[in-house]
Amino acid sequence: MNEPLIEDAKRELAARRKENGGFAQVAPGPARPDATAWAVLALRRGGPAPADLDAACRFLAGFQLPDGRVVFARDAAPAWWPTPLAALAWGALPGFRKEKELATGFLLQTSGRHFKKEKGSPTGHDTTIRGWSWVEETHSWVEPTALAILALRAAGKGGHPRVAEAAAMLMDRRLPGGGWNYGNTTVFGQKLFPMPDATGLALAALAGMADRPSVGKSLEWAEMRAREIDAPFSLCWLSFGLSAWGVAVPDLGGRILRCLSLQERRGAYGTTLLALLLLAHEGGGDLHSLLGVR
Amino acid sequence: MISLPRLTRRAFLKTGLVAGAAAGTGALLGRLSRPEEKTEPVFIAKAASYEPALLRRAIASGFSALGIDASFVRGKTVLLKPNLVEPHRGQAHINTHPFVVRAAAEAFLALGAAAVGVAEGSGHRRDTVFVLEESGLLEVLAEDRIPFVDLNEETPARVENLGKVSRLKNLFLPEAVLRADILVSLAKMKTHHWAGVTLSMKNLFGVMPGTIYGWPKNVLHWAGIEECVYDIAATVRPQLAIVDGVVGMEGDGPIMGRPLAAGVLVMGRNLPAVDATCARVMGIDPWKIGYLRRAAGRLGTIGEQNIEQRGEAIASVRRDFLLLDHIPAQRNLRLA
Repeated sequence: MNEPLIEDAKRELAARRKENGGFAQVAPGPARPDATAWAVLALRRGGPAPADLDAACRFLAGFQLPDGRVVFARDAAPAWWPTPLAALAWGALPGFRKEKELATGFLLQTSGRHFKKEKGSPTGHDTTIRGWSWVEETHSWVEPTALAILALRAAGKGGHPRVAEAAAMLMDRRLPGGGWNYGNTTVFGQKLFPMPDATGLALAALAGMADRPSVGKSLEWAEMRAREIDAPFSLCWLSFGLSAWGVAVPDLGGRILRCLSLQERRGAYGTTLLALLLLAHEGGGDLHSLLGVR
Repeated sequence: MISLPRLTRRAFLKTGLVAGAAAGTGALLGRLSRPEEKTEPVFIAKAASYEPALLRRAIASGFSALGIDASFVRGKTVLLKPNLVEPHRGQAHINTHPFVVRAAAEAFLALGAAAVGVAEGSGHRRDTVFVLEESGLLEVLAEDRIPFVDLNEETPARVENLGKVSRLKNLFLPEAVLRADILVSLAKMKTHHWAGVTLSMKNLFGVMPGTIYGWPKNVLHWAGIEECVYDIAATVRPQLAIVDGVVGMEGDGPIMGRPLAAGVLVMGRNLPAVDATCARVMGIDPWKIGYLRRAAGRLGTIGEQNIEQRGEAIASVRRDFLLLDHIPAQRNLRLA
């Protein structure tokens, strides 16, 4: 599998590594925890020396607070959304069990802001079901919830009641016509539009936790959109979500190569996108196997 | 994706505020708290379609009417901030039209701007490539070789919240916004189900990075949408607003409303004045929009007597945008 575009992407990803061990999202930028976690996951087999990945995981540990959360920036403690990503990265390497346990323990103790709806509330979803939020003291949304479910399942904590509740939250946030968006279903009685990336994330998180008929319309919508999309974030998450339900994206390998080649027109992709493309290419869309999701 | 040149005086001034540097702070705060309302010019151009030559003429006329000339622009770094909150194919009325972005970029380049970039931090969508493709903007940017900055991914810097209305003590702003010499709010003319209207001030939610505020930018919702609109506008202080009302959105905006061809571009250097004019064009009383009322006398003016209308008269372009009674933020907004 020496596809030049894939090898180029690996080299580019490895080149985003900074002296502090972390990976930058873009070449001239500073290292970031989210980019670092994705880079570790994408490069853990082939790529930098193991010592470099250890250094990346130690960099991540520098963003972990005593309560276990991993923050986006040290002066932005409420932005805890990198926590599940860090847990996944730490789980991929030996030697970071303590950090991973602290992070998953934090997730199990934490949720977004939840409340009982007042009569006449304009939002359609059940605001009491807990998932996870991007940022402390805000509501739970689809992507952080899906990532936390994946991280907890990969850490062997899929049987915890919080994971089951989060899966119920995702099910509650399904759009009436199928698919998910960032996490609202109806507002003021209007059905909102689905989004490919959020749909893929939710499907990936729910596979093995929900029955097929209950996500049937979402699978159909995802399959339809996966045929035409060549934006990397959406394509990768659609492929992960569909693959988790046994549905293959046609010519995924070729589509990933095309995505990579489109950087000439679109500009260089961020580290997250390169890592997702490499993971999708390596696993043929099977993220569950790559991450050890149980 | 592609970055603009680094570090300008504006960036130095703003990041200096974080550290409490004295230089420049007093002047900014003084502008914020001025008791009197200066007269502000606002230009309205008729634009019946997105035909490129029509848009170019409208923006050139606006620049001329507002005194935006080479002496103001030459050598400066310009950042255009369109509204790309949630693009969907076939729903062009949600977002600033790509041809408006192109026309604005061309106008600044024609006046000698050193660099013109486009920047957005989409509010609901994580996938920026998808946003650019779906909105049609990528094609325009690629053809014209205009760089795009993903404000959701830019390194954020912590600055003092100069508005001080919401409970947020600091705001995190992307470096590209702080570096730009001229920031332009290139907004869409829409009704909004939480804020009444979304125009050049509300458009600034899109400069707030998702990495700090989330997708959606829920931190700002919990801190108060109207309060945050004010705080962000007071802190970021764009130098120009251009509002795309060629086809706007009425009813359940900012996403699910229906298109309304208002046939205008509204432009000005004072954002509250521009938004107040837009509101009047939409048949909405700006004094009934909470954040505009708060901005009056502090960030600019919204009183009709203080706004010098240039170009078309409001009465000649007024189109009453549909307001929905079941949406509290849209009740009783109609201009008499």
